[in-house]
Amino acid sequence: MSYVLGLKCRECGEKYPQKGVHVCEVCFGPLEVQYDYAAMRGKVTRESIESKPRNLWRYRDLLPIDGEPKAGLYSGWTPLRRAHNLEKVLGVKELYIKDDSANYPTWSYKERVVSVAITKAIELGYDTVGCASTGNLANSVAAHAAVAGLKAFVMIPHDLEQGKVLGSLIFGPTMVRIQGNYDDVNRLCSEIADKYKWAIVNVNLRPFYTEGAKTFGFEVAEQLGWQLPKHTVCPTAGGTILPKIYKAYQEFIDLGLVADNQPKIYSAQAAGCNPVVEAIRAGHDLIKPQKPKTIAKSIAIGNPADGFYVVQAVKQSGGWGEDATDAEIVDAIKLLARTEGTWTEPAGGTTLAATIKLINSGRIPRDESICVCITGNGLKTVEVVVDQLEPPTSIPPKLDAFDALMATYKAQQAKAPAKVPASV
Amino acid sequence: MAKTSKRVWLTFSGKSMVETPALWRMARQFPDVTFDIRQASVTAEIGIMAVLFEGNGQDVAGALAFLREQGVAVEPIEGSVVEG
Repeated sequence: MSYVLGLKCRECGEKYPQKGVHVCEVCFGPLEVQYDYAAMRGKVTRESIESKPRNLWRYRDLLPIDGEPKAGLYSGWTPLRRAHNLEKVLGVKELYIKDDSANYPTWSYKERVVSVAITKAIELGYDTVGCASTGNLANSVAAHAAVAGLKAFVMIPHDLEQGKVLGSLIFGPTMVRIQGNYDDVNRLCSEIADKYKWAIVNVNLRPFYTEGAKTFGFEVAEQLGWQLPKHTVCPTAGGTILPKIYKAYQEFIDLGLVADNQPKIYSAQAAGCNPVVEAIRAGHDLIKPQKPKTIAKSIAIGNPADGFYVVQAVKQSGGWGEDATDAEIVDAIKLLARTEGTWTEPAGGTTLAATIKLINSGRIPRDESICVCITGNGLKTVEVVVDQLEPPTSIPPKLDAFDALMATYKAQQAKAPAKVPASV
Repeated sequence: MAKTSKRVWLTFSGKSMVETPALWRMARQFPDVTFDIRQASVTAEIGIMAVLFEGNGQDVAGALAFLREQGVAVEPIEGSVVEG
């Protein structure tokens, strides 16, 4: 049973059948999946969702597939944890970490969008999938394509770091180094999708792909006991996840699955690439493109395709935008690790650093529930912290040497416990 | 030469670019290239347009290169980035 009606242009409303297109032929606006919400009422319930396995497909009635899921059967349902230690450090009453650094199998929120895109690619008859990527997306496409038995072409900039290359290569895709920057790679992928009739997940399958991001928001609501956090802080790169989390909240409200507490959503960006936050601050709808310069490479998109929709969702909800410098991002990564045991990539550090600034500025009240969206794993970006941590102490295998070390250790312990880093 | 169609986003970034009649100049320079504005949004600080260009391949490429020389950012509609 599928509730999908087809595709519809977000700008002019022109309707299309389900196929591998993402741009309206009339006004060139983006296409979005349309559902028959009226038919869902009374059928899509808390009980119907709770009866399904604990993975992202428990929300399949609100996802754009017609048959059975073909990818991501073990993805999603990542921890939503009450962050008691961080609450104390930040002086807030109720703080949650939604932790997609634990999302199987490649440890980022991309499992959600790619699982839906690969399933849709199979439904639409594609035998080859691909993407233009510099990291998490490539890893996820390569892994899920391997499981689904699809051919995968992953296009990367020629100068990508070895670690990120290996993170995809291990799954056996055809990886092509393109002699150009990421924009050049992306442009080429658009032409490849047209000419070779492949499913490029974040190009011609974009309307389906982006819907997968809603599962992040659905899980937050269900794991919180069928209620919404009052404040949700989310990183912004190309602009996929934030509007979709907000859409997920609204869909659950409209279906009567959660109460409408008028949730607010906030965009977090690196100060070295903050076109959306700048637009929010200036009160503009239009995004002024930037040249990225930040360590938060996974969210360094200077001209985000869906930035306009991020601004719209933030404004509609009554939220705001905040940015973080590279130093603030690193400090926040360390703070999250040392208080909550979660090692996130710079996108997560950006989100936590922005959250702290939003709390300190009074934009987010200290006595209301807050959810911080962690979208990726720090193990993939070790270079960001490798020079920021104290190296381990080396001693000879003698008890005297260890005793001397302990004396130093006790002196250090006398210093103040974990607190908000001065940089944020 | 075969007829070519290109769907692009044109971004006029900054007050001086918003006040530059770049499309008019392009049309004078490349009179055989047609352009069809499908979406447009302009403020004092930035202008964004979705435009369809048609003509022979060499002229369309020349017209888009001319706009870039004028300071307009030209990006294919299909190439806009959602993820890294």
